[in-house]
Amino acid sequence: MFRYIWKKEIQGELYTWKSTLWLLISSLLFSVTSYLLLTNKELSLLDQTELLWLLGKIIIGVALLIVTVDASSSITAEFEKETAESLFVSPLKMKDFIVGKLLASLTLWAAIFVVSIPYILVTSAGSHLAVAFLFYIALLGTLGILGFVFLIFAVSLLFRSSKNTLTTSLILLLGLSIPAVFTSTLKTDVVSQIISKVNPIDSIFSSLDNVLVDYKLSLTQNWQYILPLILFCMLTFGLLIFAMRHFEKKGVISNE
Amino acid sequence: MSSIISIKNLSKSYGTQKAVDGLNLEIQRGEFYGFLGPNGAGKTTTIRMITGILQPDEGEILVDGYAVHEKEYVAKIIGVVPEGRGFYEWMTAEEYLYFFANLYSVSKNNQTSLVDSLLTEVDLTKRRHSKIGTYSRGMRQRLGLARALINRPQLLVLDEPTLGLDPQGQESVQKLLRKLNSEGVTIFLSSHLLDEVSRLCTRIGILNNGRLLVEGTEKEIREKTNLKDKNLTEIFLHLTRT
Repeated sequence: MFRYIWKKEIQGELYTWKSTLWLLISSLLFSVTSYLLLTNKELSLLDQTELLWLLGKIIIGVALLIVTVDASSSITAEFEKETAESLFVSPLKMKDFIVGKLLASLTLWAAIFVVSIPYILVTSAGSHLAVAFLFYIALLGTLGILGFVFLIFAVSLLFRSSKNTLTTSLILLLGLSIPAVFTSTLKTDVVSQIISKVNPIDSIFSSLDNVLVDYKLSLTQNWQYILPLILFCMLTFGLLIFAMRHFEKKGVISNE
Repeated sequence: MSSIISIKNLSKSYGTQKAVDGLNLEIQRGEFYGFLGPNGAGKTTTIRMITGILQPDEGEILVDGYAVHEKEYVAKIIGVVPEGRGFYEWMTAEEYLYFFANLYSVSKNNQTSLVDSLLTEVDLTKRRHSKIGTYSRGMRQRLGLARALINRPQLLVLDEPTLGLDPQGQESVQKLLRKLNSEGVTIFLSSHLLDEVSRLCTRIGILNNGRLLVEGTEKEIREKTNLKDKNLTEIFLHLTRT
């Protein structure tokens, strides 16, 4: 049954031009970034691997931001626009509802990834890293986005308000992103290193660095970065399960 | 006749406010039951508990012998026009009904004829391809009713289905409800329109402050309240004055 929710979400995004707008914004940001990386005097002096690394950070950063904003209203809109009551008096199960919404968010990520492919190919022209770069962007982006969507959906079910969900999700995203953009020279103490190791966004950027700068292309060589991402997904999935149970216990309508 | 809704000692509070207080109800199969009460009496709360989207604090609700949380069975035999009347504004009426037909697992072969007949029943055939966002309030109410009938329910639960409709709109909804009831559908109708309830319902319950004050046919209610020369509106006002 989840596929009907998934289809409805995709249709809704297309009819309301929301996804078109998101893809246009992504495309513009990737265009500006690629143009600057390739033509700006100072930036173009960077090594190609560093250009790719910067582009990779921007692709994943933009995708995380767009999916966060989009997913924040995905569940809560059903309550705020009073469509939840009709949905939940039907035989629709909670897990189908969540899976349908989750697939819609992953579809948005997939579309952003597809939009980014030409920019990746242009920026990596002449390099042997294009395929590995694409693979790692897809893998790390999917894991990161999956974890964040689990988290956002859990917050949505607990708060049932798009404003609260969006604010909380953006604070969490910013909170995890800010330490990740610091250079490794600022992360010499034990605390910073621990935070860096458990921070999913840091893991994504470090893995890209490992692939592009250190040429460590195999999955086994990136395991130390992929594992924290998987753990992050498991943790947020656990939180989502808790939020679903809490939601079902309280009822679709929790108060008047 | 057997009970299609059986409610025993149902209670629900919001903070310190008791919305429903020890409610007992038996709705028989094939009945047209009118559920009356002033604003805040607990009608919507009761309906939401019957439809399983609000958890009671205490008590038991059985729909056709099944506890409401046994959603797989209950959702298939119940049709609901809830108080929350949100629609996917970007969908057309046809797309909206197909979407719900899929949620109710109506087979692909039957979907077209079902959607056609429902749109005809609620008189929306001509606007079937228009976006719901362009619909008037009356058209939305009728579409909501069509959605509630998508599973051809045995029990139809309606929370003020004619609210905000003009007299023509009210008449067309009432006509449809009468027809459904004559076909054997049990109807549980919550309404503010006492005249509507008086004309349509075979049995009436009056709720106030979460408690059922009186229940029965209109004649029985007159007898029970010793207000034999009064109409339903006068009885209602008399009972809910405090």
